[in-house]
Amino acid sequence: MRNIMISGLIVLLLSPVSFSQELTGEDIIKKVNELFNPQTSWGKSKMTIMTTSGSKRTFVLESWSKDKGEKNLVRYLEPARVKGQATLMLNHADDIWMYFPRTQRVRKLATHAKKQKMQGSDFSYEDMGSGDSFINDFSPKRLEDEKMEGHDCYKLELTRKTDRDISYSRLIMWVIKENFYPIVIDYYDEDDSTLLEKRLVQSDIRLIDNIPTAMKAVMYNKMDNTQTEMEFLDVKYNVTLNDDMFTERSLKK
Amino acid sequence: MKKRISMLLFFSFYISPLMAQDSVELFGYFESQIMGVKIKSDFYQLYTNKLRVDLKSNLSENITFAANFDYITYHGKKEWNILDFLSSGITSKVPQDKESDYELPFYNRNFLDNAYIKIAFKNFDLTVGKQQISLGTGYVWNPTDVFNIKDVLDPTYEQPGHNAVRLDVPLSTVYTITALYSPEDTWKNSAKLLQFKGWTSHFDYSIIAIEKLWRFHDYTQFNDENSNFVELPERRQLLGASTAGELLGLGVWAEYGYNKMEYSKDFYELVVGTDYTFDFQTYVMLEFYRNTLGKKDYEQYDINDWMRQFTAEQKAISRDQIYLFVQHPTTDFLSLGSSSIYSISDKSMALIPTLNYSLSENIDIMAYLNFNFGREGKAFSKISGNGGLLRARVYF
Repeated sequence: MRNIMISGLIVLLLSPVSFSQELTGEDIIKKVNELFNPQTSWGKSKMTIMTTSGSKRTFVLESWSKDKGEKNLVRYLEPARVKGQATLMLNHADDIWMYFPRTQRVRKLATHAKKQKMQGSDFSYEDMGSGDSFINDFSPKRLEDEKMEGHDCYKLELTRKTDRDISYSRLIMWVIKENFYPIVIDYYDEDDSTLLEKRLVQSDIRLIDNIPTAMKAVMYNKMDNTQTEMEFLDVKYNVTLNDDMFTERSLKK
Repeated sequence: MKKRISMLLFFSFYISPLMAQDSVELFGYFESQIMGVKIKSDFYQLYTNKLRVDLKSNLSENITFAANFDYITYHGKKEWNILDFLSSGITSKVPQDKESDYELPFYNRNFLDNAYIKIAFKNFDLTVGKQQISLGTGYVWNPTDVFNIKDVLDPTYEQPGHNAVRLDVPLSTVYTITALYSPEDTWKNSAKLLQFKGWTSHFDYSIIAIEKLWRFHDYTQFNDENSNFVELPERRQLLGASTAGELLGLGVWAEYGYNKMEYSKDFYELVVGTDYTFDFQTYVMLEFYRNTLGKKDYEQYDINDWMRQFTAEQKAISRDQIYLFVQHPTTDFLSLGSSSIYSISDKSMALIPTLNYSLSENIDIMAYLNFNFGREGKAFSKISGNGGLLRARVYF
């Protein structure tokens, strides 16, 4: 989900190459985290799940984010089966509520719910670095720079901190030097740090409101041989959003 | 016939003009299900078709009208006698000429389940009309919900609408006060509710006070005048609290309701629950429920206890029970799971393996089997209906 809020800091684009070579893993992941958490954003996305048998499921969802990702609201628009279902995440996704329109019930969820698949897709809430997960849950280490998907990239290894309850033992991330955009992220198994579970590939990067934004992200599940595509239908940054938007009252609308 | 004419009038006068507006959303679902139950050596089936049509219209930026209409038809075995599910110790006390009083018929139904207007003022929301009332944090049982009783075999199924005027006043982004009035024939008999709700990091909490007339029945005395059992209405005053949040990485919730009764003995209900999602996606939930209205010893269960449970006047027949639910997404579209309910009081158990399959974007298949393992006379006795249910639901 978090990819719909992806943005960047223009100042990063102006950073001289000589300085970038001295950047540590911590410096890079902080900039990636800032890119993932703009001040405010609104987006409409299409999520398509593709199974090995060729079956497809398509969902359309709308999302709002405020205070650099501290507050998030996601609402499903399609299909009819899930229309109106909504998720509110506050305190960088440490507080989560789900609304089910059929029963008009709001349920408070514990953070372990972030491990669950989004509507059976290959994305879980924590996959996209919900909140400040990349910084809080992992320790970064800069590896040798590499070219990935045609871009000069920093390569980072993020190793899970010992006290963190996260589904992956480590991540490998390729970050575009030019704009600090994480173009590819590999997710490794919780117990076997050599077993690649999933790969996220982001593409079609455009400058929206002066912020680099991947219009498409595909999560490849290497274990199940399935994939889920997230595509932006529309996105805006620096939109005006009141705090009232991120309340139970708004969740039920 | 009269009901159908009323529905037609409702649609003609209210819905048709709404449909003429561009802003009216029309959606809903069609549900077809078959339920089978084994009684003694025979297996009986009840087929149900349900069409639910929802309407929603934003009459202006702050005013919403929503309604839904249900049409349900029943086929197969449409008359069930509750005595067939009870132990001989209970049924032997029922006079032979009264046995037919315990038949539970399923008639085709069409009704307006919900129809309300919601007005969002700057500082409060006002909802007027027939609306769902969802209270409490429990998954299967809700001690603070005096309006609904969930089906333990299918606890997430939608609840019926209730006539009410509801006022939600957010005091800030954290605190909300809700006042609700559900009218009956007199002010005294009407339900009144006041709830204060808030949250702090990782925890939601609420305090609630409700007064409602509880329409208990005496299922040993039949009133020939209205062809129903004798009603024992009694005022019930509830003071309760609930919370939900996270502790040591586990989801946790608790809900408590103390019930002060006008004539009968006061009682309380308590729910404590926890859940967790493992890294391999398996979800586990455990919920404990105590109802001091329920009995500790199954030999004390009488016909009233059973009938009150079957007719959803009372949430459980035994005092203490545990609900365990495990679910795993086997593929992207298929989830297999199992729930089990164990009565700590009478040491009987029900096991309910479940299957949820997304056949296409708007078609869900749900199935469960129900196996009871208790001795005759216990809450989940072998004779009280091993069986299952298969449901297909198409959303539009």
